[in-house]
Amino acid sequence: MKFSEDKLAKVSEIIARYPKGKQKSALLPLLHLAQEEFGGWLSADTMDYVAELLSITPIEVYEVATFYSMYNLKPVGKYMFEVCQTGPCMVRGCDDIIAYITEKLGIKPGETTADGLFTLKTVECLGACGYAPMMQLGKFYREHLSKQRVDEIIEECRNKAALNN
Amino acid sequence: MAIKLLLEKAHVQGIRTYEVYRREGGYTALEKALKEMSPEAIVEELKKSGMRGRGGAGFPTGMKWSFIAKPEGVPRHLVCNADESEPGTFKDRYLMEFLPHLLIEGLIISSFALGSNATYIYIRGEYAWIPDILEEAIRDAKAAGFLGKNILGTGFDCEIYVQRGAGAYICGEETALIESLEGKRGNPRIKPPFPAIKGVWDRPTVVNNVETLAALVPIIKMGGEEYAKIGIGRSTGTKLISACGNLNKPGVYEIDMTISVEEFIYSDEYCGGIPNGKRLKACIPGGSSVPILPANLLLKTAKGETRYMNYESLSDGGFASGSMMGSGGFIVLDEDQCVVKHTLTLARFYRHESCGQCSPCREGTGWMEKILKNIETGKGKMSDIDLLWDIQRRIEGNTICPLGDAAAWPVAAAIRHFRDEFEWHITNPQEAQIRNFGLAHYADPIHVPVTA
Repeated sequence: MKFSEDKLAKVSEIIARYPKGKQKSALLPLLHLAQEEFGGWLSADTMDYVAELLSITPIEVYEVATFYSMYNLKPVGKYMFEVCQTGPCMVRGCDDIIAYITEKLGIKPGETTADGLFTLKTVECLGACGYAPMMQLGKFYREHLSKQRVDEIIEECRNKAALNN
Repeated sequence: MAIKLLLEKAHVQGIRTYEVYRREGGYTALEKALKEMSPEAIVEELKKSGMRGRGGAGFPTGMKWSFIAKPEGVPRHLVCNADESEPGTFKDRYLMEFLPHLLIEGLIISSFALGSNATYIYIRGEYAWIPDILEEAIRDAKAAGFLGKNILGTGFDCEIYVQRGAGAYICGEETALIESLEGKRGNPRIKPPFPAIKGVWDRPTVVNNVETLAALVPIIKMGGEEYAKIGIGRSTGTKLISACGNLNKPGVYEIDMTISVEEFIYSDEYCGGIPNGKRLKACIPGGSSVPILPANLLLKTAKGETRYMNYESLSDGGFASGSMMGSGGFIVLDEDQCVVKHTLTLARFYRHESCGQCSPCREGTGWMEKILKNIETGKGKMSDIDLLWDIQRRIEGNTICPLGDAAAWPVAAAIRHFRDEFEWHITNPQEAQIRNFGLAHYADPIHVPVTA
């Protein structure tokens, strides 16, 4: 396991943002980078590699990786639907959206489809309350969700996956 | 027409780019601050402006800045808190997405005033596309000579870095944010020492909200005294309100804090009323942790006076009959909404976000969620209501950071004002699964006792 030269240059650039000797500050950004690079989740090997890059102990990485909700400690589907379920989204009908995705893909929150394509996850407030109901899909938000929008998004993901195969 | 200081140019085509922002008068406040003013003079203007921190606590920013320690030879840091995570709040996102240069300009002025040569923007991890926007703005500002070495020939050096969080509400608390910036779990620190003395890497640090730092631009442009003339009382300047829930026009609005709550909800200039002719049942006016109010206490105070969208008026009556301005996350519930269920989602949120350091919060938030879930699903007991009250009382004030209070207050206020809705859930468990309690008496005029 190793970052490409490109990514290693990025790692050096990130570490240089902090004072000398405070390279541990780069841990969160590096874990994001590692998760993107190494399959969408953080295995023990991945975390050990990040520890090595920062000259810190592996436990310092584990304790951080387990604290923050965006780090996946188990493999997830290629497309993760992270649907917000906090108050303002509830008021605008997120429960129906979650139920619809469950029905459509046959997975409950926390599960992944057998083909490894989709994971459904419920999350707490993502700061898009005025555009509810909404979900995070990769880097971006999908807002003003309706059953029709969900259908379109699933279709879009399937098409993208087919193109990449 | 309302006064707009932050969002005035939000709809100018291309304002996100350096060229358009500059053409529209951008970076002139920075030129004025760095060329004509000393750091002390900037802090002085900020004090005169009376601006209160826009993140939620409402502490006067000028005073916060004046606490920063200046030990010889120790670098100081400014950290911009862009970890916006309070349910109902999405105003900072709007500023960063559409007016990135306004924030960067405010940050450079503030860095100069505080003597920060390395300034960090800590942004919540889920806003994953926004760091690209901010980093582009930083690059362009640097190319124009507003960042880097010897800015505008003043001898002042400054770099701004963006750091993403990774999903933790608690990192909006300033000491947890600092821990996270150091690459650790977001466990809040015991204060004192305050960040102004010992912050990131044990150096003097000021942590301010995005909107607060952006407001430095109009304050420097117009002067603190002029800024203080806008608004009313100790609610000076303008405030961004993010409105959501059952509204015709949810979104981010800039208000000058002299309008009434009723005008904000119903006028076409703002939220445009409630969809489908439904009636207002309740509202959380300042982000999920501030007390929920029934319609009658929201629109008028217990004294029968009109309630306004400002710090003083929203908190009129204390927690007995008032609420708070908080972060400006304005959540509206119409007559079809269930206060028990809404409170349950908030309790779940705080349980999920408790860092686990303090037992009252770690254990209490989960316990409250469990009881609320029982009540919501028809398995509640009448004694649960008093138990909930008891638990929240024991969390409040007994934790290192304010997350404990933030988790306790929504439950307390829901019971305080909507106790009969909770009781109805318990006495009518089957019916409560099919329909909601409805508007009931929550919009009825309140009897105001006449005093001689």
